[in-house]
Amino acid sequence: MDNFNLLLEGFATALRPEYLVFAFLGVLIGTAVGVLPGIGPAMTVALLLPLTMTLDPSAAIITFAGIYYGGMYGGSTTSILLNTPGESASIVTAIEGNKMARMGRGAAALATAAIGSFVAGTIATLGLTLLAPTLAALAVQLGPADYVALIVIAFITVGALLGNSVWRGMVSLGIGLFIGLMGTDSLSGQQRYTLGVPQLADGVDVVLVAVGLFAVGEALYVASMLRTGKVDVIPLTKGWRSWMTKDDWKRSWKPWLRGTAIGFPIGTIPAGGADVATFLSYAAEKKLSKNKKQFGRGAIEGVAGPEAANNAAAAGVLVPLLTLGLPTTATAAIILSAFQSYGIQPGPQLFANQPALVWALIASLYIGNVILIVLNLPLVGIWVKLLQIPRPYLYAGILTFAAFGAYALNFAVADIVVLVIIGVAGYFMRRYGYPIAPLVIGLILGPMAEKRLRLALQLSQGDLTTLVTQPFAATAYAVLAVLIGVGLWLRRRQKRFEQRMAEELANAPEEVPDLNR
Amino acid sequence: MSAPVTTPEAGRQPTSGLRARIGELIFAGLSLALGVFALVGSFGIRVPESNRVGPTVFPVVVAVILMISAAAVLVGVLRGRFGSPEESEDVDLSHRPDWLTIAKLVGFLVAHLLLIELIGWAFAAAILFGGSAWALGAKRWWVALLVGLGMGLTVQIVFGELLGLSLPLGPALAWLAPLI
Repeated sequence: MDNFNLLLEGFATALRPEYLVFAFLGVLIGTAVGVLPGIGPAMTVALLLPLTMTLDPSAAIITFAGIYYGGMYGGSTTSILLNTPGESASIVTAIEGNKMARMGRGAAALATAAIGSFVAGTIATLGLTLLAPTLAALAVQLGPADYVALIVIAFITVGALLGNSVWRGMVSLGIGLFIGLMGTDSLSGQQRYTLGVPQLADGVDVVLVAVGLFAVGEALYVASMLRTGKVDVIPLTKGWRSWMTKDDWKRSWKPWLRGTAIGFPIGTIPAGGADVATFLSYAAEKKLSKNKKQFGRGAIEGVAGPEAANNAAAAGVLVPLLTLGLPTTATAAIILSAFQSYGIQPGPQLFANQPALVWALIASLYIGNVILIVLNLPLVGIWVKLLQIPRPYLYAGILTFAAFGAYALNFAVADIVVLVIIGVAGYFMRRYGYPIAPLVIGLILGPMAEKRLRLALQLSQGDLTTLVTQPFAATAYAVLAVLIGVGLWLRRRQKRFEQRMAEELANAPEEVPDLNR
Repeated sequence: MSAPVTTPEAGRQPTSGLRARIGELIFAGLSLALGVFALVGSFGIRVPESNRVGPTVFPVVVAVILMISAAAVLVGVLRGRFGSPEESEDVDLSHRPDWLTIAKLVGFLVAHLLLIELIGWAFAAAILFGGSAWALGAKRWWVALLVGLGMGLTVQIVFGELLGLSLPLGPALAWLAPLI
């Protein structure tokens, strides 16, 4: 029950008034930025990271936890109320939620998403609380070869299994690994690929790459093909008070729990985070529902399940991040670099060395969840306003804050030069269908992989078999083989599923009354 | 005005035409070149005597990953397997990419970074914001510039002066420094 006391102490810290204010601000800003169209969770945390740098570590982490949850949730409001297809993590929410909104049931869709996120977030945070300390205790015994195995799994799953093309994912991963090599080698002190430029001797900052790819790259990409015409936001007819009927509750609670059960485990394993979880949850709900016909026409289960899965996965991702120091999504990679910039190194030692900090973080996740639900429904009017921001201003603002974030790292103009170069590269990656996440993961995990690999080989006197003969590592590679198989199968299914969905939607006559007038 | 609900598949134009293809080939070619550069560059890294597994091993692995995967993409593109452009809320994939806007935006970013230390952060930010909004089609450029100026000054005062980030004030605001 020692951990329980530590958790209580964490709450005592996180509930201090000044930290509550930070948690509140974090959730508010995170949600607001997350709601903005075109801004996914990864961009939200990358753009807002500089804002936390002036705070002390505890305050920064608590703020950041709020930003993370707010950013993860914010996207669902966008996809429910905005009449355009969104990013993949919330695309299934968009299918049903958007239809519900067009039938005048937008408030119900938003409510089931918000409450589902709360339920899932709380249960998954509970899972994190129970699982993480045990896992951290086990992780202490892992050797360098075992870490190499875990990192290879993360590389392969994120690089090859996410996105549309295996090889494009691997190219993206390779570029990230290469950028990670630039700078001074930490073990031998040798400079690598610095081209004699002194600014490159310290390597390229992960935050710079993330902001460049996610903010500048995205802004340039959107700018090149900006949707013209009026912004098409579906109005909320009766406000949020008209939210859920008794029937809605009855149809929502099981999907919430199932979504949580699907999302949390998928988040904890390095298999791509929220995307896969939301898709699986949607497929499960469609299969189990008694109103199958309603799917594709605004079934509330299709919002409740995937939204819960999305948030449960967000908490699940924190398990490997905190206990092993392994980020499995681009967002987690940025969080890891944020922690490092506060002087905190996530990993098995974290629970032993800085228990106060880590338990304050976990406590603030619970609190962040509560703040999220308290804020979200009443403020929905503000979120709707945010959706209507004229796009020129929105993307100009993104560029300005990206430049600010880059400059605020070291107050060096050279950093903005790097930012622009990476942004242009990010543009071309988007244009030609290269996924961005593997690059960020490669950049942050590459140096870790190299260090462990060389350590393992030094211990074994250069014997390569050490990498696969450790029992844990061997098991990990076996699991990897299975993961690849299942992953490829799932992806084929997802593609077929999306195709069918598109056909069904194309064929279905618009029975929905027109409420936009 | 009920716009048809667009799904990811719908609204995607088949990528065709020589121009799109050339761009893809160039990008894949550049990735391949990066792999070759990484490999060649690894020979230039000095290896200290004492290290059994030196600082060149991992770069070679990375170079090989890059070269193999870039070559595979290159072959794929030549065989007609194009990448699918990313979808986003504000992107209309049926539009042709507008290079002029991109050039303008990059131009304003460069102007911003050149001007920061000359005229101060707030004004450089105003130019970046106003210029980008204008390039993206804001109707009244002077409103965009004013909004940018307001934003720049707010960030400058809150983060620069109150929270202590060292954003250059520039000559026009230099009188602020002793006040706060």
